[in-house]
Amino acid sequence: MDFKPAGDSALVIIFGNEISESVNKKVHAVANAIEKAKPEWLIEVVPTYTSIYVYYDPLKISYQEILKAVGPFLSAEPKEEEHRVVEIPTVYGGEFGPDIEFVANYNGLTVDDVIELHSKPLYRVYMLGFTPGFAYLGGMDERIATPRLEKPRLKVPAGSVGIAGKQTGIYPLESPGGWRLIGRTPLKLFDPSKDPPTLLQPGNYVKFVPIDEKEFWEIYKLNWGEQR
Amino acid sequence: MIEILKANILTIQDLGRYGYQKLGVPVSGVMDDYSARLANFLVGNDENRALLEFVLQGPTIKFHASSVFAVAGDVDVYLNGVKISPWKSYWAKRGDILEVGTLKSGVYGYIAFAGGIDVLKILGSASTYVRANLGNPLKAGDKLKLGYAILTGKEGKELPEDFIPKYLNENGIRVVLGPQLEHFTEEGIDTFLSSIYEVTRNSDRMGYRLEGPKIEHSKLGADIITDAIPLGAVQVPANGKPIIMLADRQTTGGYAKIAVVAKVDVPRVAQTRIGGKLKFKAVDVEDAQKLLRKREMLLQNLKRYLKGELRGYKLKALGEEFLVFVK
Repeated sequence: MDFKPAGDSALVIIFGNEISESVNKKVHAVANAIEKAKPEWLIEVVPTYTSIYVYYDPLKISYQEILKAVGPFLSAEPKEEEHRVVEIPTVYGGEFGPDIEFVANYNGLTVDDVIELHSKPLYRVYMLGFTPGFAYLGGMDERIATPRLEKPRLKVPAGSVGIAGKQTGIYPLESPGGWRLIGRTPLKLFDPSKDPPTLLQPGNYVKFVPIDEKEFWEIYKLNWGEQR
Repeated sequence: MIEILKANILTIQDLGRYGYQKLGVPVSGVMDDYSARLANFLVGNDENRALLEFVLQGPTIKFHASSVFAVAGDVDVYLNGVKISPWKSYWAKRGDILEVGTLKSGVYGYIAFAGGIDVLKILGSASTYVRANLGNPLKAGDKLKLGYAILTGKEGKELPEDFIPKYLNENGIRVVLGPQLEHFTEEGIDTFLSSIYEVTRNSDRMGYRLEGPKIEHSKLGADIITDAIPLGAVQVPANGKPIIMLADRQTTGGYAKIAVVAKVDVPRVAQTRIGGKLKFKAVDVEDAQKLLRKREMLLQNLKRYLKGELRGYKLKALGEEFLVFVK
């Protein structure tokens, strides 16, 4: 374990230097313990793959003091029963996943192979970040790994499921993007009127469930209304 | 209520949206918290009340009811065509028109109203974050409700000249080195601390991209295992050119961070224009925190001074002028 300042208002606690499920579980256990205790100097914690950023108020506690203050939380251990699996209904291919043929051809597979390999694993939400509700998922089968687009799309619809290198992810918001799109979910990944505002939480598990276009629009209406 | 007659680039901000970074929601909020907090203090508000942030060119606003307001920024201000001062609170009555000109220095200016702007808070904050549709940039015709405030006695408060920010960067922008210093060579760190960097056109509320001598990475390279990005973080991607991450920064990222700007100097970075020059100076985390505590004490004194709870006296000692606050 290593401790470093990240400026005058954040402490970084580093638990390892490689992405692994066990390190990440420890990260979330300690982050949860700090959050639950609500120390008066705490602004917020951001758990990442291998580290925790503890944002604090330096008017209430100094760097030397916070090094001691986090001590009692570091022994927190992950609880096994905390597993939450979130099913992500996804239409693969067609207008919803225009790059699925490319991913298949690139890897010498059929489109059905890609769907099967992508929807089989239980993916871990290692962390959220980048944009509201974006989950960094771990556990993709390397047989469907595909490089990003050379020229990013200007507009990727919210809910699009993509592959970038060895990673897979879901776009929570309509935005520009360079991931190879293989499908789309009708679920809302970010909804600021809800608390928590994101469908996925750090430490959750994700399972993609293939659906057809009819099911997509049925679920879509429930989440987004009539607009397309 | 106020009505925006001419918006230019205008958003509602407060001190930011906290508690949701772990879900990927950026903090956003004002780019220059020193100026924004003083603007609120000038109209008798607490520091976190929602106010207007303009970029370079100020808005034109019509008052539909009486209010007390103050403008923060190096800018010409007109009330019904009569020139008035920034950094001072004024009474406006129904029908009055406030015109705010173009900033003569700096990038961001603020307009605060007694009671603040009464806008629906999203995830605990009134700050506008356009990329996720958390609020929208304001446009002509928008009408904004103001919060309730007793206006009597709120106008005519003026910030003492000495505390109007000048944003001179000659002393250097203070930074705390790290947290990924091992991703840089000794020479790289030396280049960063000894060179002058210029703010480029590709700069906005998210971050300022700088041009200048290339910062050399160590064998570990520019990429890290994605981690969090604090305010003022100086990221250095593979091209060796630093990017300072500001209010609308994404919560996480994969580039090595050579340093983080001391919180007291973030407003100075934010107020540097395209083509403006920055030089960095390393300080210990303890020193950065001392500077922050000193600034907070000053801001609290100024708040009480503007409320009339403290009096300020100018003292000359050792060839320097000081403002001393007493009850």
